[in-house]
Amino acid sequence: MSVHVSTPAKRPTGEILFALVFVSVGAAGLLTAGSIPIPPSETGIGPRAFPYIVCSMLVLVGTGIVAQVLRGKVGQAEESEDLDAAAKTDWVALAKLVGFVVLHIFLIEPAGWPVAAAVLFSGAAWSLEAKPLWKAVIISVVLALVLQYVFGGLLGVSLPPGPLLEGVPFFNG
Amino acid sequence: MLLEGFSTALQPVYLLYALGGVFVGTAVGVLPGIGPAMTVALLMPITYALDPAAALIVFAGIYYGGMYGGSTTSILLNTPGESSSIVTALEGNKMAKAGRGAAALATAAIGSFIAGTIATVLLSFLAPVVAELAVGLGPVDYVALMVVAFLTVGALLGASVLRGLASLALGLFIGMIGIDDSTAQQRFTFDNPTLVDGVDMVLVAVGLFALGEALYVASKLRHGPVEVIPVSKGKNGWLSKDDWKRSWKPWLRGTFIGFPIGTVPAGGADVSTFLSYAAERKLAKGPNKAQFGKGAIEGVAGPEAANNAAAAGVLVPLLTLGIPTTATAAMMLTAFQRYQIQPGPLLFENQGALVWTLIASLYVGNLMLLVLNLPLVGLWVKILQIPRPYLYAGILVFAALGAFSVNFAAADVGILLVVGILGYFMRRYGYPVAPMVVAMILGPMFEVQLRRSLQLSQNDPSALFSSPFAVVVYVSMALIFVGSWWLRRRQAALEAAPMKDKLPV
Repeated sequence: MSVHVSTPAKRPTGEILFALVFVSVGAAGLLTAGSIPIPPSETGIGPRAFPYIVCSMLVLVGTGIVAQVLRGKVGQAEESEDLDAAAKTDWVALAKLVGFVVLHIFLIEPAGWPVAAAVLFSGAAWSLEAKPLWKAVIISVVLALVLQYVFGGLLGVSLPPGPLLEGVPFFNG
Repeated sequence: MLLEGFSTALQPVYLLYALGGVFVGTAVGVLPGIGPAMTVALLMPITYALDPAAALIVFAGIYYGGMYGGSTTSILLNTPGESSSIVTALEGNKMAKAGRGAAALATAAIGSFIAGTIATVLLSFLAPVVAELAVGLGPVDYVALMVVAFLTVGALLGASVLRGLASLALGLFIGMIGIDDSTAQQRFTFDNPTLVDGVDMVLVAVGLFALGEALYVASKLRHGPVEVIPVSKGKNGWLSKDDWKRSWKPWLRGTFIGFPIGTVPAGGADVSTFLSYAAERKLAKGPNKAQFGKGAIEGVAGPEAANNAAAAGVLVPLLTLGIPTTATAAMMLTAFQRYQIQPGPLLFENQGALVWTLIASLYVGNLMLLVLNLPLVGLWVKILQIPRPYLYAGILVFAALGAFSVNFAAADVGILLVVGILGYFMRRYGYPVAPMVVAMILGPMFEVQLRRSLQLSQNDPSALFSSPFAVVVYVSMALIFVGSWWLRRRQAALEAAPMKDKLPV
């Protein structure tokens, strides 16, 4: 078993940028909250007060985190069973995964859900170095068809079967 | 009333649904990296086409099954994971390594069953009483209760207070997007038609829990074979007489520690398992005490019981007040809302039949888990051994399926991806995701009650402390915070202790 060694990032630029996301969401909210229309009948605090409270909180807390990180108190990355805490972040695998989800989104309508799902599964398995690849592809096709059958056919969730499977009755609810 | 619930839940079709829910819930809960909240979120689509009673029965099964599955994972897998079962892992994992994995699983299973059953009985008696009392609560009281829920989930539970609050605030912000409940004005929609209806809770939950986790693990995936500790069969396999003798008291103590902690909005499973573990460690005597840190059965029996009892306890505020105090409860509330069921004081009057069916199916599900879990250990081990590329690819497909089937819009999968990337960075930089989920669902309710309170008092903020109930709630919150500060110091000391054993290897 590996003993946890906390390896603090050399320069916490990423962490500061992420905290600034919270600050900027809050700031944007503060700037736009003033344009929320208040109906003339309103007698209470109205629809703007709560946005102002929440957005101020975002700005304050985000700024606080930036200050903490600058003083060296960085966040503790979450642990997980399958996670190799000592490993370097594999940005390439991450980019591939995000890419395949995007591809999936654009495939659902034209190609049908099963095709899009099979592409997502085999693409993701390939990004995570599944070997051999043909096995991942076969699993993806079987999984996509089973899910289409169970959800589209049995449970009546209307997943578009796509041009390939349009005519097969048990893939449609 | 409960009998009527049973008469529904025991119909053969509904029994099948319960069995299905329990089985799928456990199977998904066993998967490493998948906690109970993510189990409920991921499995939401399977109930979309069911009638409300069937859906609630399936959810009851998934809820308990997901809790159960986690303990199997932490006992048998070499690396601990989910927080609510991490205490189980302390001793359970050691037991498994010493060849006593089956005994650890057995004490966890039986303890969960006993605790789950007792806690469900308590829930059946307590919930109607609390609901009756809750009818008298005004908006000021709700504001107080929700402030406590926000602060305990956001500031009390995580490692970093500021990061918890940031997550909370972001959840509140996303909850505001769309049409304001009180005045029907659009807020933060930027005239974008997809944002007018607000961001769907399922997208955020699945994005944060499933997609965020999958991306995070993928970024630092442990390659190579999966190490599952083999479960011995034969004479070491079952609980010995001594094991029983050492287990039954921790089971009961765990139950009575877990249930009350679950019912108050002060942390749910995490806190209760830790308290139970600390209690067992303190109460153990002689050679048993020396076993702590090396595989003491009490350290599995107690926390597991506490975990399940807390899971039932969490349902008390959820059903009677409509206030979820954990991420899993927030997911349950989302599921209820899909069926137009609004938990709250009037739930037992308006939807009595459904609620009692749900409670009855908790009993049924619990019994099924006990019967299913032990004989199926072999299957759970197989599930644990799924090659990780396939596992995480499968999670991605399921997350995408769940997101798409909310409105059958591909654009929703796009929102899922954005939230997933957010979830990735939150994990990377140590932001807890649970506060965001709870805040997103509670935020709109909180705002309605806050505005109502202030409207009644002509915008005088001191009115928020005008009701005795609210004052009691705020004072208890202060006490909880002081208590937690003390607990945190204890926990730090406890966590340091087993580390010492590991170092000189």
